Amino acid sequence: MKRLTNYWNGSWLLSIILFVGILAGCSDETTGGNSDNGAGENSSGAEEPFEIEIFATTFSTNPPGNDSPVVQALEEYTNTKLTFNWAPNSNIDDKFNITLASGDLPHILYVPSKTPSFISAARDGAFWELEPYLADYENLSQANEMILDNTRIDGKIYGIYRQRSLGRNGIVYRQDWLDNLGMDVPETIDDFYEMLWAFTYEDPNGTGVDDTYGTVISKYEGPWNIMQTWFGVPNKWGEIDGELVPDFKTAEYREALKFFKKIYDEGLVNEDFAVMDTTEWTKPLENGEVGVFVDVLDAGERARAKIEEQYPDNPDPIRLLGSVEGPYGHRALPTSGYSGMLAIPKSKVKTEEELRRVLTFLDQLNDEEVQILAGNGIEGRHYEIVDGEYHSFTADNEGLLAEYESLNQIMMFIPVDKVLAATPNELKQLEAQILEDNIEIVVPNPAEALISEVYSKQGQQLDTIISDARIQYIVGQIDETGLDEAIELWEKSGGNELVAEMNELYKEAQANRN
Amino acid sequence: MADKAITTAAGAKIIPNVMTKKQRIKRDKWLYLLLIPGLIYFIVFKYIPMWGIVIAFQDYSPFLGVFESSWVGFDHFKFFFTNPDFIRLFRNTFLLALYDLIFFFPAPIIISLLLNELRISWYKRTVQTFIYVPHFMSWVIIASMSYVFLTTSGGIVNELLEQFVGRKFNFLSSPEWFRPMIIGQIIWKEVGWGTVIFLAALAGVSQEQYEAAIVDGAGRLRRMWHVTLPALRPTIIILLILRLGNFLDTGFQQIYLMSNALNRSVADVFDTYVYFIGITQGAFSYSAAVGLFKSVVGIVLILGANHFAKKMGQEGLF
Repeated sequence: MKRLTNYWNGSWLLSIILFVGILAGCSDETTGGNSDNGAGENSSGAEEPFEIEIFATTFSTNPPGNDSPVVQALEEYTNTKLTFNWAPNSNIDDKFNITLASGDLPHILYVPSKTPSFISAARDGAFWELEPYLADYENLSQANEMILDNTRIDGKIYGIYRQRSLGRNGIVYRQDWLDNLGMDVPETIDDFYEMLWAFTYEDPNGTGVDDTYGTVISKYEGPWNIMQTWFGVPNKWGEIDGELVPDFKTAEYREALKFFKKIYDEGLVNEDFAVMDTTEWTKPLENGEVGVFVDVLDAGERARAKIEEQYPDNPDPIRLLGSVEGPYGHRALPTSGYSGMLAIPKSKVKTEEELRRVLTFLDQLNDEEVQILAGNGIEGRHYEIVDGEYHSFTADNEGLLAEYESLNQIMMFIPVDKVLAATPNELKQLEAQILEDNIEIVVPNPAEALISEVYSKQGQQLDTIISDARIQYIVGQIDETGLDEAIELWEKSGGNELVAEMNELYKEAQANRN
Repeated sequence: MADKAITTAAGAKIIPNVMTKKQRIKRDKWLYLLLIPGLIYFIVFKYIPMWGIVIAFQDYSPFLGVFESSWVGFDHFKFFFTNPDFIRLFRNTFLLALYDLIFFFPAPIIISLLLNELRISWYKRTVQTFIYVPHFMSWVIIASMSYVFLTTSGGIVNELLEQFVGRKFNFLSSPEWFRPMIIGQIIWKEVGWGTVIFLAALAGVSQEQYEAAIVDGAGRLRRMWHVTLPALRPTIIILLILRLGNFLDTGFQQIYLMSNALNRSVADVFDTYVYFIGITQGAFSYSAAVGLFKSVVGIVLILGANHFAKKMGQEGLF
């Protein structure tokens, strides 16, 4: 105490404070490192359940935790102890980037897409390269070669893809309205336009009031992308005389945009689409205001269920189309065949032995038992099978559904989806048929597997320039000259470098293939 | 925040300057000891993290960490200033900030003056309470409310306008309406809350001054001009200096929620840019550089304004 009173006590105190501060800053890192090591050592014991942390996405507000009997059954089957870190799908990209930046990574990290941040992290060696191991696992070894190629970064596989159908995009429309108007199912783009026009101006629902319109579109630009493909616009990149050209530099793109502007000007599309929130998007279809919805095909069944709820006497008004015929025949915009992937960070999974343990778990997730567990729940609790027919108990029991609902988000469905399904209704059967037919007409993106340096730095801004210009053109804020100016801005902001780089990469890739 | 500054500024003046530094420290050693938790807090949570600024001069990768990432010096800044986006971002941010200063900043003062003139106190209190309420709503809610009211597809405002004026206005999707809409939202949300400090300052004005003014034959407007406003002047100046420090902060949430493909040409500001570059695109270093630039502008403005205020014979912040 006496020392405190001497001349130097002020600076003495300050130095202690500084020292404590520095200690506090450092100790954070050291304890973090220690605990990691500890977990690794403990769990490598032979019989002990292996601890696995999983970062995954969810569409539910109430994703399952460790108290869920389904999660417990899954843990038992795989001899693991699971910790889920669920991130809502609405802002999954942000959440993913923040998790990545934090450096505190789980054993299994859901990667929404090949984002620039994921690519650079993979290049910096943040994730295990999985290709050499896949062949040793019963299910994973059956992964689809083409989809694996789409997931590659610099020729290497850093994550196991979650398989989703390639031909998911199409047209959802009101068959009953067509019938009311005595019209045929549209076959060409012109027919499609006629349908939109009739749904807007010819009172398809027979109320005698002008209360319907053609199609609803929101801020989300998927419908424009799907529709422009019908016109012959390539999927992001097209190959013209051996050169890669971005989709918006084709003549077909201008044709498609003229069509969009026409349907917008004639009031066949909702006037406020550019500001409509995506959560509002399906409502006009569900409420019977709109007769056409261009999106993924499964939106059809979801809307049908909602329409049936509101209008019980009209239980089955919806039908689907894969595409309508344009100048180049039938063309459909594919999805990439996978919806994100599951990567294994090296910072958490330190040894090869641990990696193999995690891979075993991922392999087991593709077993039929686990697929059914994650997709249907537990027999007797969530569903029953009577005379070979599947009956779910969860249709009107949200609590029961929540026990397993989000688990399908960690399912890879490799090689195939084995989840039980009720005998599909007519619409679901049609959907399955179109999903299959669409595979024949999807337009692949020749540059899907190419990783551009320029794009990873500026891709977001470049894409925004073009997609904003498209919308501005459709609503009449800019004309063709404005489009040209936007493309010029795109070129100046890095687009020219992007095209050059992509072509170089493309030639390289082709040379490697031959 | 503001009243803290007032008391420290005032408090600093009270301390008599007769003893030497050494003597004073000796006398108040226990008081200095009380300072420790605060100091630790600032060092650990404010100053040590500030060290992270170095990533603005690096090619930072989270997996290499601050120590391993390569050093690029001012490259990010060079790229930013020569980028075609820079002028547009600066213009958008600056104009929004300027409009905010011109239209929003005086609004709480005017409302306070009006409230101050109210005679019936229960009415005054009720009005005050009601105009506070929007402050507690999140921007997400305000953005959805704006959509519901202003959309051209069945929004009530546009329906009414069509009835009375004969046409609809694209409030949500036209560049020319973007800034008025943003400022309007801010005024609607924050004006009530903004009156709190001014009303507190007005509560301290002695009634004798008003009585004296009445005796001198001053009317209501005269009293407002010669008594109320001068009483508010120090508060106004301090709030203005503080506001200038955040001059380029345009409120990320609000802008992000209200921007869309059709008004992006005026809606892109530094805050949304940092978000797109940093979080969405994962270019942490570059976005840190942009953020740092913003902070530098902020500190220049706050020092400048403080200096200017002192020069004009007003009390500054520090």
